[in-house]
Amino acid sequence: MPSLATDFVRRFARNRAALVGLVLVIALIGVALAAPWMFPKNPLRIVGRPEIWPFVNARFPLGTDSLGRDIAAMIAHGARTTLLIGLCASLTATLIGITVGASAAFFGGWVDEMLMRFTELFQTIPNLIFVLTIVSILGQKIEYVTIAVGIVTWTPIARLTRAEFMSLRDREFVQACRAMGMGNMRIMLGEILPNALPPVIVLSSLVIAGAVLFESAVSFLGLGDPNISSWGRLIGDGRTLIRTSWYICAVPGLAIMLTVLALNLIGDGLNDALNPKLRDR
Amino acid sequence: MRRIVLRRLLQIIPLVFAVIVLNFVLIHLAPGSLFDVMTSEQQITDPAMLDQLRHTYGVDQPTWVQLVKYIWSVMRLDLGFSYRQNAPVLDVIMQQLPATVILMLAATAIALLVGVTAGVMASVRVNTIWDNLISLGAVFFFAAPSFWLGIMMTVLFAVKLGWFPVGGMRTIGTDNGAFADALDVMYHLALPATALGLFYAATYARVMRASMLEVFRLDFVRTARAKGLSPARVVLAHVMRNALLPIVTLLGLQLGTVLGGSVVIEAVFSWPGIGSLLFDSVMSRNFPMVLGVLVLGSLLVAVANATVDILYLRLDPRIRLR
Repeated sequence: MPSLATDFVRRFARNRAALVGLVLVIALIGVALAAPWMFPKNPLRIVGRPEIWPFVNARFPLGTDSLGRDIAAMIAHGARTTLLIGLCASLTATLIGITVGASAAFFGGWVDEMLMRFTELFQTIPNLIFVLTIVSILGQKIEYVTIAVGIVTWTPIARLTRAEFMSLRDREFVQACRAMGMGNMRIMLGEILPNALPPVIVLSSLVIAGAVLFESAVSFLGLGDPNISSWGRLIGDGRTLIRTSWYICAVPGLAIMLTVLALNLIGDGLNDALNPKLRDR
Repeated sequence: MRRIVLRRLLQIIPLVFAVIVLNFVLIHLAPGSLFDVMTSEQQITDPAMLDQLRHTYGVDQPTWVQLVKYIWSVMRLDLGFSYRQNAPVLDVIMQQLPATVILMLAATAIALLVGVTAGVMASVRVNTIWDNLISLGAVFFFAAPSFWLGIMMTVLFAVKLGWFPVGGMRTIGTDNGAFADALDVMYHLALPATALGLFYAATYARVMRASMLEVFRLDFVRTARAKGLSPARVVLAHVMRNALLPIVTLLGLQLGTVLGGSVVIEAVFSWPGIGSLLFDSVMSRNFPMVLGVLVLGSLLVAVANATVDILYLRLDPRIRLR
């Protein structure tokens, strides 16, 4: 087993794009952790003259927005929001996806049929509209946005988990467990799940990127949590000033793009390292 | 063939049924009920009047009766009444839906055109600078939020260069016949459709490249080459046709996201579709309208999905042999 793991790490480390992604994400996590220390005061408070362009005033390296709030502070604090929502939404999606996919494959028959129809239902509902509906019904709070994003992104994970479970459930080691009289839950969680997990985790890492994009769209529309600094909201706030100060939109957008880019590169790298045969495709 | 098509179309019904039930559950999850929002908005406080209204709207009945009634009314295409616009929900949505559908179609067309072309070019010139440039472009457009791309394109092409309008669907105060009107709409459509389409173009380019490379390895391609067909013909008629199949699948799977994406893009370009309607309705907690958009959006995606599946049957040469 350890040799497999080192093999995996070596393959990942050979992938230059994935390493770039890893460095970017580590930098982002650094910024997110350091934000309360670098900018200890509330990032949403007004600190200077409005609409100072980036690189003009050394006190505000990324400039100020239309109200005179420090963009650098909002970006740093926004990194916390982005990472937290991305991780939690992906975790929610992974939990739902694994539960649905594993039960469908393990029990088969009408359970499988019902759960797959359920999955199809969630693939049919236009996902962003569903998120907006949930947020409008439950209220504009960061927890609800996170859960809503998780609820619309679990379907690919359910499908993958189901496929992995299908290929594993009739293997000899599972039959041996059955013969020993192990219960369903123990076989599913203790025996099959650990073997099915690696590709599912890879997919979950890609779901984080999708969740970040979702959250940014919801905040951009002004339906995110109004009390929390978020990159999407910053773009939405700056929209009215694109004729004079388009940098207010450009800077947080670049942050979103780099984050999603880095997460995608890591996800692709993990995928390639996991399936070395597919690499040359 | 006809039986398969019919069966696929029938599968839409339980799906839409499930969406309706889900909707109903969502309404009942709401902390302030629809009825409370409505009465507080109209500032009705008289208890007798409230009782009478409760009776008229059937809120005094048990939940399951309300569910059956709700399903029955949606089946008759009655999505409720929007007290805000003072018109039936369906009418209001139908008025706004065409603009959204035009935007979705245009964005999908751009995505297919750009994505498939880029994917084919990358696969023909695999591991060259062209391949790398296309892959790099795909990685970037796959990561850029479409609304941000839209704003940046507005800054460059509308504000700085003045080539395209900043927003809207038509130039106000012009009436030069249907053809000029269509051109005018297309002129307004260019930026929003491109901003929305490029994300999907990036996906299609990556999938198309991988799929082309896979088909290139197959035996029938070698046969086609051995027959002495020109390289262009091999690529376009033999490889591309088969490599397009995953794209068709992807197209069907992504329709729901395209609809969601167009809601955001509409906000950027003040495009008069269901996006602005949804936004206003979410803000004013106009639940019948929000849920109406959700039901009709799901129906749209379900029908489009079935169409794509049927299209797939026609496109895949292996299926026809059976």
